Amino acid sequence: MARQSNRYIHILRIVLAVVGAAVMLFVYLNHSEKLNTPLMDFFTDDFLAQTGADNAVAAIYLNYRVFDTLFEALMLMVSVMEVINVSWANKHADRYQFEEDDMYYKNNSELVARMVGIVYPFVILLGLYIIANGHVSPGGGFQGGAILATALISRYLVYPNFDLDLHIIEKMEKILFLFIVLTPVLYVFMQIQPDNTVISHQVYMVFMNTLIGLKVFSGLSIIFYRFVFYEGADNTFIDR
Amino acid sequence: MKPLNLITGETVGILLFFIGLYGLMTKKTIVKTIMSMSIMEAGIYLFYITINFSPDTVPPIGQSREAAFADPVPSALMITAIVIGIGVTAIGLTMFMHYKQQHGITHWSRNRNQQGSEH
Repeated sequence: MARQSNRYIHILRIVLAVVGAAVMLFVYLNHSEKLNTPLMDFFTDDFLAQTGADNAVAAIYLNYRVFDTLFEALMLMVSVMEVINVSWANKHADRYQFEEDDMYYKNNSELVARMVGIVYPFVILLGLYIIANGHVSPGGGFQGGAILATALISRYLVYPNFDLDLHIIEKMEKILFLFIVLTPVLYVFMQIQPDNTVISHQVYMVFMNTLIGLKVFSGLSIIFYRFVFYEGADNTFIDR
Repeated sequence: MKPLNLITGETVGILLFFIGLYGLMTKKTIVKTIMSMSIMEAGIYLFYITINFSPDTVPPIGQSREAAFADPVPSALMITAIVIGIGVTAIGLTMFMHYKQQHGITHWSRNRNQQGSEH
């Protein structure tokens, strides 16, 4: 009996998903209407003179809607704190011993190690370029920060020993978040700007992109290293 | 209405969302549920960044407009949404690892959990 009712519930779920998709597609294809775009007209009207950015997307997330960016940085920091504090290995594992510094590959592929060793300076360079030029060309803080985090993740492919002190990266992330909140509050909300804002707008854009890039880099690296070294399958725990 | 013109970003986004919803409803493993949530979020991103796109627009960079600008507003909103998706996935996976270490569960139903949940 339970198996038959399970089958009915399974069919009901399939029907629900298919009917939902069909209804949404039908409504979208037949009854969608085109409205005006007042926000786009306002944002793309004169964004270079008002915000100093050539890139309209950077003008939006760094000047016109910078309030969203503050809370997004907060969200990243909260998820990092959760990854550290909710994990079982935080209280129940042996204290992690930092392994000593011997350069052997620990069964990792030597081909991968050498190729990544050649490529990773270019990855770091690309990440820094995308961060620094985020207000002029496509890119910005978030994208460049993710590329920088790729460079640190590829370090694990080469050298899978745990010799990073994650506390330094955590402190750096929190200090960066403080500055990410402080700078738009002073510059955009309270409008503490010099009279000639041509140069100060550019400085603000580059500074904010750099802060956001480094913060995303720290957050993603911490999440990756906590997952790899603390949640792995071959941990030894003191008690369950 | 030619059938190939139907494959736009919005329709694929809606399909991805409902595929993810199906996976969320029916999968019996916890990790697959978290992956289905990621697929739903990918569908939403695709839907939003295809809104108000027409092929004769230029990127909204610089001041010399040869043609109309593409819409920068949904792209700027989805930058935030992608980072939030990363956070949600990380939090979900950490919670799953905690439950697994404490109770030994990896499936939603009681009958299928790991035998002998020592790790």
